[in-house]
Amino acid sequence: MRIYLGLTENSLPHQTRIFAEVDGKLIDLTVAHARYLAEAGDATYAYEQAGFFFPETIASFLQRGAQSRDALGRAVAFARQTGLSNLRGPSGERAVFDPAEIRLLPPLKNPEKSFVIGFSDKARVEAMPKAEIPTGYYKLPQTFVTGGAPIIWPKFSQELDADACLALVIGKAGRRVDPARAWDHIAAVTLLIDVTARDINRREGLTTNNLLGKNFPSSTSLGPALLVTPTRNEAEALEVELAVDGEVRQKFGLRDCVFTIEQIVARWSILGIKPGDFLAIGASMALQGDRLQNPAPLKVGSTLRCSSRAIGELSHQVIAAEGLRR
Amino acid sequence: MRLASYLDRGQERIGASDRAGRIVDLRRAYATYLRDVEANPSADELAQLTLDRDMVGFLKNGEKALDAARKALVHIQENPKLVDGIIFDLQQVRLMAPVPRPGALISAGKNFSDHVAEMASKKGPSSPVAFLKLPGTVIGPEDDIALPPEVKNLDYEVELAIVIGKSCVDVSADEALDYVAGYSAFNDISARDVIRGENKTGIHLMGKSFPGFAPMGPYLVTADEIPDPQNLKLKLSVNGETRQDSTLSYMIFKIREMIAYWSQMGLNPGDVLTTGTPRGVAAGRKPGQPPWWLKPGDVVEAEVEKIGRLRNRIVAEQSIAQN
Repeated sequence: MRIYLGLTENSLPHQTRIFAEVDGKLIDLTVAHARYLAEAGDATYAYEQAGFFFPETIASFLQRGAQSRDALGRAVAFARQTGLSNLRGPSGERAVFDPAEIRLLPPLKNPEKSFVIGFSDKARVEAMPKAEIPTGYYKLPQTFVTGGAPIIWPKFSQELDADACLALVIGKAGRRVDPARAWDHIAAVTLLIDVTARDINRREGLTTNNLLGKNFPSSTSLGPALLVTPTRNEAEALEVELAVDGEVRQKFGLRDCVFTIEQIVARWSILGIKPGDFLAIGASMALQGDRLQNPAPLKVGSTLRCSSRAIGELSHQVIAAEGLRR
Repeated sequence: MRLASYLDRGQERIGASDRAGRIVDLRRAYATYLRDVEANPSADELAQLTLDRDMVGFLKNGEKALDAARKALVHIQENPKLVDGIIFDLQQVRLMAPVPRPGALISAGKNFSDHVAEMASKKGPSSPVAFLKLPGTVIGPEDDIALPPEVKNLDYEVELAIVIGKSCVDVSADEALDYVAGYSAFNDISARDVIRGENKTGIHLMGKSFPGFAPMGPYLVTADEIPDPQNLKLKLSVNGETRQDSTLSYMIFKIREMIAYWSQMGLNPGDVLTTGTPRGVAAGRKPGQPPWWLKPGDVVEAEVEKIGRLRNRIVAEQSIAQN
């Protein structure tokens, strides 16, 4: 099941809604679930109850755990059974939208821990000293965009590139998680594009930092959907691809990671993990025989597509920063 | 003004210090002002709209919120009978960090000429060096610092925290201070052994960002009260013994230059930059000298002139309740 965070045409900016994708349409889960409750004879507070299951952020949705996951299952089953052409809210509100009608937002808004696991790519690590621990870096939530938004070339850089990642989204809080229980804490997966100002990153690397080179407006693309509660086998079968100007530059799956999910969750949960946090794997996993072109260099005007069949596609165009000053 | 965030019966609120050092609840004080002076029929609602419950929201409201806070403070001081639910003695409330959850927490490294020397770096950096601490690591001025079981070499770093008040991109050093809301004291707690492990193959993140590794406070002193922050004195002691005693004049990249440089990534109200620290950290001890690593029971006091003092006790993490 794929869920999205977005706004309908008339919503105020804070009135974000969670949508589920059914037969190519987006279902407003709050409205659909309110209708389900009303039909089940539970009309009093139907909107409030639905709002509890589908709050304004996906982090809160995940935090509600099984009660919200069950509500998601009920709402989607109800939508299918009612038929999308007949599905409306208890007072006739629209519940079904074409994807183009919804302004999608990055599915995770302000995680405490939005980490990319560094040097996790087998092909690349061969050329480097063996990493004993899965180190990581933090991507500032204020850099997040989602598909459709332009990637803005920052004025301070001459050299921009992109890496595709698969983000493991936390659904259950924990601290110092037992590796054997690591998978229990993953509730969803989504795509992430890590855009890097490589010239700055190289300089910052001399003092073992990376800040400006990895954190500028639109340097992190996230989404478009959260694939919720995949089984471990489903997650391991995911293939992620990054194409620049139509040419595939990166292709990988979880099998290409140096570290196991157990190692990564055990390590980073030392700091504590919460619903809506994510650990992204895969920065710069090379296509076999294509290491020199990896990560994928960008130019102003480049189009960037990161996709995985089960999750969807993030697509962007790179534009110059001119005219965007203050 | 000396702005504070504090907990009143578990609820986060913003206040300001009055002349007697008590905490005035700004939203309640402003509602009283609106009712008493302006006869506003929707005083509570307007006060809520103007003075957000948390400091980042307050700062986003900019001059409008600051102006309301000033009016509220004057009104309360002119009407000494208005006390109940509005004025609190410091013992009645728990001070949080003035910005309990910054948007971004950007901490400078290698930024004091005397500290660069003690850390055996060959020379200072050619452009500003900084790293991100996780905003969730921020704790209050008197909170305990948990020593995690993974950490052997726990260190301290007294710094000035610069709180951004207005969004800015690409500002010049000359105009940089116009974007500052105010200043606070900061202690950049570091796990040196964890950092060493991370630096072997990656960058340091965990070593600076265990829960509670960022005590801040006690107040956010507004920029109008500190027109020249560049010469403030910094001091840090452990169990009463002075460890760091310096001034911000030793900064390699000055406050204005730091803001200008990091504004390239875009800064927003409630983002916090910290200056880096002067000499005297535990990591600077030479072989043969008794080590200065922090241990359970130690009390660390970090003080910045004109702002105040943080006083945090080190407690073994296993001995405190997990949240």
